[in-house]
Amino acid sequence: MKNDTTLMRLRAANPVAEAPTIDNDALFDRIVAVPAETARPRRRAPRRMLVLVAVTFVATVAASTAYALTHWVFGDVEHAPASHAEYLRAQTILTFPPGYTWPNIHFRADTVMNRGGGGSFAVSIDQDAWECYWVGAIKRGDSAAAARAHQELDDLMANRISIAPAGASENYAPTGVTFPHLLFADDGGYQHKRQMYADAAAGKPAQLEQSCRANGP
Amino acid sequence: MTDTIDEARFRGIFSHLGEVTAYAARRGSRDPDGVAAEVMTIAWRRLAVVPADDPRPWLYGTARNVVYAEARSRRRTTPADVATAPAPEVQSLDPELDAALRNLRSSDREALLLVAWEDLTPTDAAAALGITATAFRVRLFRARRRLQAALATTQPAPLTTLDVEGT
Repeated sequence: MKNDTTLMRLRAANPVAEAPTIDNDALFDRIVAVPAETARPRRRAPRRMLVLVAVTFVATVAASTAYALTHWVFGDVEHAPASHAEYLRAQTILTFPPGYTWPNIHFRADTVMNRGGGGSFAVSIDQDAWECYWVGAIKRGDSAAAARAHQELDDLMANRISIAPAGASENYAPTGVTFPHLLFADDGGYQHKRQMYADAAAGKPAQLEQSCRANGP
Repeated sequence: MTDTIDEARFRGIFSHLGEVTAYAARRGSRDPDGVAAEVMTIAWRRLAVVPADDPRPWLYGTARNVVYAEARSRRRTTPADVATAPAPEVQSLDPELDAALRNLRSSDREALLLVAWEDLTPTDAAAALGITATAFRVRLFRARRRLQAALATTQPAPLTTLDVEGT
């Protein structure tokens, strides 16, 4: 580079070719009369340490966010496999009417339900099945079967079905209930079912028949 | 008077006063002595951060900032003088080279001049600019090419034009 003609020309064009030798004691004394900063420069944290701190911070935030999402926000949420497993397990607990078979429910992969949702599904299907079984018993004049259906439905209403508190969110999860369990909204539906069963037992099965047609297997 | 340890160290830095003054003059400062005094005052105040082995890159880097601050202040305080006030640019003895240098970006120009006029090594010049030696070498290489290209296209200005510019 020293032989570069451009740089040589540049060197030759230096307007102050020689730096002057300046011995300015007065300036020196004036400058040092003011106290110099005694504080040494702060030692910079090694870059590796800074990176480590940054990575740790990001990881902590990410982990806490993930924890929050999975436990605090989606704590009572489950996906299709878990719901399906609950549905199958509920079948081993609930009593299904004679001659009826549990429908094979396909839970789509993107299904998200509240925890216990698969069991709730089974209770609902069981209830519908017993209603239809009762309708059939009435039509056949099978009073014993009708009485059993009535008893099974009363048991479901008493032990497997309850009403959510007024104003509860859709994510409300009852505590202290036995699996499987179905939650009715506080909209009079539970009372309607009770009345329907009472009417059917009193010889007025119209509502029960309608419910079977609408919801039955 | 016996120098303290800090004063003894600062005396070594202060010995570069003439070089800093020359630097300011080469960069077109109207008050090279004042710039150098300002730089030395800053060096004393921030003695802890001035490199002990060779303070010149630090001094030149600081002087560059002071010269630019001087030019900015001049533009603010004397607006009527804007048209004629020289920017903190180089003023070489070669008009053609002057024109070519003025057409360069300031970062390219400073890279060339730190090596050619301040006689710094690329490593020291890199320190003065606060960049890595490798980055400086790349910048110097490109600056040299651009200066060559500028010189190739710069026609010697007619004498009358030079007269007008010189007023």
